[in-house]
Amino acid sequence: MLRENGRSDDRSGIERELKRGSLELIVLHLLEAGEAYGYEIVTKLTTQSNGALGVTDGTLYPVLYRLERSGFVAVRWDTPERGVPRKYYRLTVAGREELARLKSEWNAFATAMAKLLGQERPS
Amino acid sequence: MTGNLYVQSVIDHIPEGLPLRDQVAMELRAHIAERTANGQPLEEIQRQLGDPRRLAESYLASVPLTPAPIFARLAAKIIDAGIIGLIAAGIAAVSYLAWRSKVLGGVFYWLLPIYIISAVLGFVGYTIFAEYHFGRTIGKKLLGIRVVRENGTRISLGQAFLRQLPFFGQFFFIDALFVPFTEKRQRAFELITKTRAVAVVLGLVLLT
Repeated sequence: MLRENGRSDDRSGIERELKRGSLELIVLHLLEAGEAYGYEIVTKLTTQSNGALGVTDGTLYPVLYRLERSGFVAVRWDTPERGVPRKYYRLTVAGREELARLKSEWNAFATAMAKLLGQERPS
Repeated sequence: MTGNLYVQSVIDHIPEGLPLRDQVAMELRAHIAERTANGQPLEEIQRQLGDPRRLAESYLASVPLTPAPIFARLAAKIIDAGIIGLIAAGIAAVSYLAWRSKVLGGVFYWLLPIYIISAVLGFVGYTIFAEYHFGRTIGKKLLGIRVVRENGTRISLGQAFLRQLPFFGQFFFIDALFVPFTEKRQRAFELITKTRAVAVVLGLVLLT
C-alpha cells in the first residue's frame, strides 16, 4: 500500500515538474491569440486542455509577473467605473521570440522522448 | 479571512518599500473581485491562491537579489552607531551640565556607565526594531541596503533578534569574518538565521 502511494506521489511529482517547466510556454502560447486578463488565462488553460493542464491561481500569477519583468509581456489596467478592474497581458516582440524559442525547445524534447519511448526494449 | 485580509497577509511578507507590494495587492484584489463576481466562494478563491507566504515567495523568486557591498554595510553600521552615539552623548552632556550646576549632586559618575550600557543596548535594540519593521536602519537606508530572508521575504522578529546576537556576545568581528568568503556575502549569524543584506536602489532590488 505504502509502495503504491509512493509511486502515485512520484507520478504527481513528475506531472507537477512538467507543468512548472512548461508553464511559461503555455502562458505565452495562450497570449499569442491576443491579450487576456489573469482569470481569463486560467479559464482558457483549463478548458482548452480539458482540465489536464489546470493550474492554481497562486501558480499562474507569479509566472505572469516573471514574464512581465522579463519584458515578454506588457500589461495595461482596465478600471471601469462599474465592475471589476482587470489587468490585461499581451505579448511583446521579445515575448514572441521567446515563445518561438520555447516551442522549438519543446518540440525537440518531445520528438526525442517519443523516439526514445518508441524504441523496442532491449532484451 | 476576508479578501482584503488575505491580500494584506501576502504583502506583509514582501519587504517594505518594494513597488512589488502595491502591484501584488492590486493584482490580487482584482483577481478576487473577478472570481467573486463569477460567483465563487472566498474559501475556494483563497484555496486557489494558496498559502499567503508561499505566494509572496513565488513572486519574490522573480526578483534577483544582489549582495550589499561590504564597505556599504560597514558605512551603514558606522552611521547607525554615530546616530545612537550622538543621542547618548547629548543625554550625557545634559547630565554633566546638571551635575556642574549641582542639580545632580554626586550622581553623575555612576550615571556614565549606565549611559554607555544604554547606548549599546539602544543600538542593538534599535537595529532589531528597524530591521524587523522596515527591513533597514537609517544607515542601511542611506546606503541602499535592505535585510531580507534568503528567499527575499521580510524577516521575522526572531530572526531580527538572532542577527544581533554577535553584538550581545561581543564576537561581532568573528561573525563578520564570514562575509568575504560566503557566496551571498553573509555573516555567520546571517547564515544561521537564513537572512541576508541586499543592495537596493530607489526602492528596486538591483538586477544582477
